[in-house]
Amino acid sequence: MAMPDMMFSYVPGTSFIHRLDPRTKIIAVMVLSIFIFRSTTVVHLCGMALLFLILCHAGRVGVLHHLRSLRPMLVFFTFIFMVQLFLTSGAPLFTFGWLQPTVEGMVTGAFVTSRFILLILYASVLTSTTRAAMLTNGIERLLRPLPLKGLGVTSFEIATMMSLSIHFVPVLLMHARDVRNAQLSRGLGTRRNFYTGMMSMVIPVLTGSLRMADEIAMGMDSRCYQGRYRTSLFELRMRTADRLVIGGIGILFGFIVLSAL
Amino acid sequence: MSIDVRNLSFAYKKDSCETPVLDDITLTINKGEFVGIVGEVGCGKSTLVKHFNGLLKPDSGTVEVDDMSATDRKVKGRIGMLFQHPSKQLFCKTVYDDIAFGPSNFSVSGNKLEGCVHNACKQVGLDLQLLSSSPFDLSGGQMRLVALAGILSYSPSYLILDEPLSGLDPMSKRGFLSTLEGIRANGTGVVVISHDLDNILHYVDRVILLNAGKIAFEGTPAQYLASGITPVPEITQLIRLLRSRGLDVSDSVYSVDDAFDQIIKALKSRKRHGDA
Repeated sequence: MAMPDMMFSYVPGTSFIHRLDPRTKIIAVMVLSIFIFRSTTVVHLCGMALLFLILCHAGRVGVLHHLRSLRPMLVFFTFIFMVQLFLTSGAPLFTFGWLQPTVEGMVTGAFVTSRFILLILYASVLTSTTRAAMLTNGIERLLRPLPLKGLGVTSFEIATMMSLSIHFVPVLLMHARDVRNAQLSRGLGTRRNFYTGMMSMVIPVLTGSLRMADEIAMGMDSRCYQGRYRTSLFELRMRTADRLVIGGIGILFGFIVLSAL
Repeated sequence: MSIDVRNLSFAYKKDSCETPVLDDITLTINKGEFVGIVGEVGCGKSTLVKHFNGLLKPDSGTVEVDDMSATDRKVKGRIGMLFQHPSKQLFCKTVYDDIAFGPSNFSVSGNKLEGCVHNACKQVGLDLQLLSSSPFDLSGGQMRLVALAGILSYSPSYLILDEPLSGLDPMSKRGFLSTLEGIRANGTGVVVISHDLDNILHYVDRVILLNAGKIAFEGTPAQYLASGITPVPEITQLIRLLRSRGLDVSDSVYSVDDAFDQIIKALKSRKRHGDA
């Protein structure tokens, strides 16, 4: 069965960004996210949007692919925009009953929403140019110095959990689609009973995902999985390009810290 | 009264120039007919049947069920579609509720609904005592029967089954197929997707072989064997081997019983010749 083009999916390639160390990219996205959230002027936001376009070009991944990642969040974007629009006090735009959108609300709403949009677009750049395995590898490596033992986990276990969750997203979506097909065939949606309709989807998807998790756990156990220390197929190595990017990101971070003081 | 597929083409990725999953398929499935769709993994069998009740829409061509477009809402009630994993559709607290889900969606209620459920159970040979138990406490084989009953309960005109035999033991396979045979005898069109030529060839009226999204063969089981297409059932392979070793048996045998008769006959006649 063909897989649909999914949000946040990896796009194979050999571009400059693809070849960067995952740690570099993760740190860069983290710092850029902080910058996005601290930016207060239109110029900053436009600059970030421009940088995003440059990254799209450098990573050889179409802008459309990234925009697709925004689609499931549309409801959320609308919601936060509306909240800002109606709940910020200031000069009223117009009055519609008890609703009173304000000019200030519109401005902050636009700001907050575009921050979130940019955030997701940058995350999409990261995931589209980094294999999920490399991503978890990078995160594992970044977490390793942390004293996680006290919490009863290791960075390797966290990495395994993450890669499993990432791996399961498309599997669960396919499963949900199969369930939906089966129930549609039995006439789901022809009768307007929301509760039964909902249950006919939720329960098989839930039981199915629990069963799959159980099977995966059994499969891992029978192959002697242990989470204390694991070697990786891909050894991470920082190259000159990575050092340069980290350097640039470091300067940006310094700028953020200075402006916060 | 039939399912009519005309020049159906379909691709999952619309924008790519890859070869489509289904390429110019034309076929008809009549009421009261038992059709087997066979072919390698990924040749488009499941994709094809998903067009029969409008789960997928053709890129080009038409699919009509009893002269209605397959995307028509009424079509879902005429077509019963059983997918490979019954656990993907069971959700109610009791088996009864689960079997009743279909008919109540197609606005059957009250005493009639109970009749539908009991009738469906009788058809698949499901113990009525199981009706009050939870579908999640059943064995795999029983779950499959419940899933089938959940589809038969709204008496579809056509029954479409995607790999219904996978994971069943040989006895259950034959039992399941004779259940289908009985359903067909009531005038329902039955379409089975299966790799299991050994078992289905004996039951079907017609075999449709798909290869890379095209119909590679269509005809009766006898024609299928005569056409020299592989794969053939194991029993046919055995009979052909015996024939090549000089035993006088027909080479288009596809059921164990026929093979048995043929071998006995051949051996008897050989003995007679030996005596003479």
